[in-house]
Amino acid sequence: MAEFWKKRKLSELRLALERRGIGRRLLVSIILFSSLVTLIATGVQLFTDYKRDLGLIKSRLVDIESSYIGSIGASLWNLDVTQLRLQLDGIRQLPDISAVAVYEMGDSSSSPIVIESGEFTEVNTIVRDYKIVRQFPSQERTIGVLRVQASLEQLYARLWDKAVVILLSQTIKTFLVSMFILLMFYRLVTVHLGHIARHLSAFNLSTPGPALRLNRRAAREPDELDLVVDSFNDLTQKLQDAHDHMRQVNLALADDIVARRRAEKEVSHLNAVLEERVAQRTSELEAANGELASFCYSVSHDLRAPLRRIEGFRRILAEQVAPDYSDKQRHYLQRIEAGVQEMSEMIDSFLQLSRATQGELYVATVNLSDFVSSAIAELRAQHPERQLEVSIEDNICVEADARFVRMLLNNLVHNAWKYTSKEPRALIEFGRLNAQQDVPVYFVRDNGAGFDMRYASRLFSPFTRLHKSSEFEGMGIGLATVQRIVARHGGRVWAESRPGEGAIFYFTFWDRNKDSGQGHDIAGGRQPG
Amino acid sequence: MDRDTILLVEDNPDEAELAQLAFARLDSCYDLQIVTNGEEALDFSFASGRYEHRPAERKPGLILLDIDLPQISGFDVLRTLRASSSYSHTPIAMLTTSDERDDIAHGYALGASSYLQKPLDFEGFAQLLQAVSHYWLRLNTRIH
Repeated sequence: MAEFWKKRKLSELRLALERRGIGRRLLVSIILFSSLVTLIATGVQLFTDYKRDLGLIKSRLVDIESSYIGSIGASLWNLDVTQLRLQLDGIRQLPDISAVAVYEMGDSSSSPIVIESGEFTEVNTIVRDYKIVRQFPSQERTIGVLRVQASLEQLYARLWDKAVVILLSQTIKTFLVSMFILLMFYRLVTVHLGHIARHLSAFNLSTPGPALRLNRRAAREPDELDLVVDSFNDLTQKLQDAHDHMRQVNLALADDIVARRRAEKEVSHLNAVLEERVAQRTSELEAANGELASFCYSVSHDLRAPLRRIEGFRRILAEQVAPDYSDKQRHYLQRIEAGVQEMSEMIDSFLQLSRATQGELYVATVNLSDFVSSAIAELRAQHPERQLEVSIEDNICVEADARFVRMLLNNLVHNAWKYTSKEPRALIEFGRLNAQQDVPVYFVRDNGAGFDMRYASRLFSPFTRLHKSSEFEGMGIGLATVQRIVARHGGRVWAESRPGEGAIFYFTFWDRNKDSGQGHDIAGGRQPG
Repeated sequence: MDRDTILLVEDNPDEAELAQLAFARLDSCYDLQIVTNGEEALDFSFASGRYEHRPAERKPGLILLDIDLPQISGFDVLRTLRASSSYSHTPIAMLTTSDERDDIAHGYALGASSYLQKPLDFEGFAQLLQAVSHYWLRLNTRIH
């Protein structure tokens, strides 16, 4: 098993080297730097060796001068060529000396002595000439020259060998050290980094495995890798927590969405049901309206016709036999006439009321003040005997259907006229309130009989009267008509009064506050269907 | 000159009697012919059916037509009469208790000469008959 792991580790190490990983970069860097240092150190060492050897050669040359020049001078003076040759060979035996020569200098001799041992070359050599001086009592005379050539070839060869040895040993050392560093780095860092990487790439939030743990001896104090591992495990835990939280939130959200979808479905279902119901109601209403219209037609035609006939025959009866009638018979005929009259008015009122709720609205600008004026003028013409004080605010205009608004104001003015009939100084006023700014409030006021506010809720119901018919005539249809017309114009109508102190009827058009309701809005609860 | 004939189409006998009574009060110089339904009105107008022996050239000078008639309605009678060249210019007045806008408009659209609503009181009714007869048969210029 251990063998297997070792093999495996070695192959991993090779792989790490082959890869352009940290190990390879580290190796290259170490080798490059180490080589550079080795080269510089070798260079310095070779240079000092060269200097030293060169100094040795030079001092040898100086030694040659001091130890041989005297004896060679004597041999030359004695013209002892054999001795000279021996002496020169002796010098040549010295290390690094490659050639030696003696040249005789003299003015008399025709053939000066020249003895050479070795070859003089000009490459890699140091050549020195030493004068051979003979001391005479009067003077000293130069009798020849000793030429010594030292060769540097051996010096260079030595230096080269040294360089090769140094470089070779340094290279091997560098390689070994680098491999060692690499191995250590691999063991200490790379293998754990690989482990961390594998753990990370296999990491799955939804199926968390065991925590990251490095396969190594526990250090006495946590190092950088331990810190990385700790941080990673910490991060993993936090991610896990966040993931769990997220999943819970997601689940809650999914539940929420399901619930919402269900609610939406319910709402749309309810809407569909409602729409169906509305459509049903609308068609029912339309049918009812149609029935109402045909009913009104029947009333206008069928009820009026017999009534006309009753009145016609009554009239003929009254005319034809009038002189013979007793007072009682005359009274009965009058009662018939009154009954016919009442019934006729009732039919007219009924038709007026029903028409107030039917037909399209043709909205245009209408002058309310003019309608009030003409209604009062008409009443004055019919009853010139009545004293009446009138106050009408000029040019009150509104967007409405002129036909219906005329009907509305006629009814309110007639109402005021009727209930002020017993006043010695009747007063009718029409105007506009300034209190409410967004929706103007119009009013018709009188100083007539008034009514008890306790019965105000019944005021606008059709065929309802708050006064005895013996006191004031009428069908109780006028205010119901008013209420319907105001409602069709999106307005409200209400009244304030006290018995004997007159009444004020307020109304609005296109009233946004219509549905919000007001304390004294007695029309609000009974809009026509 | 022959007296003009006024043809009154009225299905209700009481109405017819009242109309007759009203006419009787007028110092009228017209003949009043009353028929009780639309078919009869057309027979009389075109001298056919039970009126085939009537001299056809003596057309009624004014026709007073109720709307609400059994079987053939007043509007149908009006339409048929106006479709005939003989009655294209004869004054035909709708005489009825209805004041429905639709009825009025329909009557004029079919070519009614005027539309009269019967007033409630008998006196007014008599005066209306007098006025309409007088207008169409005396004041108004006709094509002969």
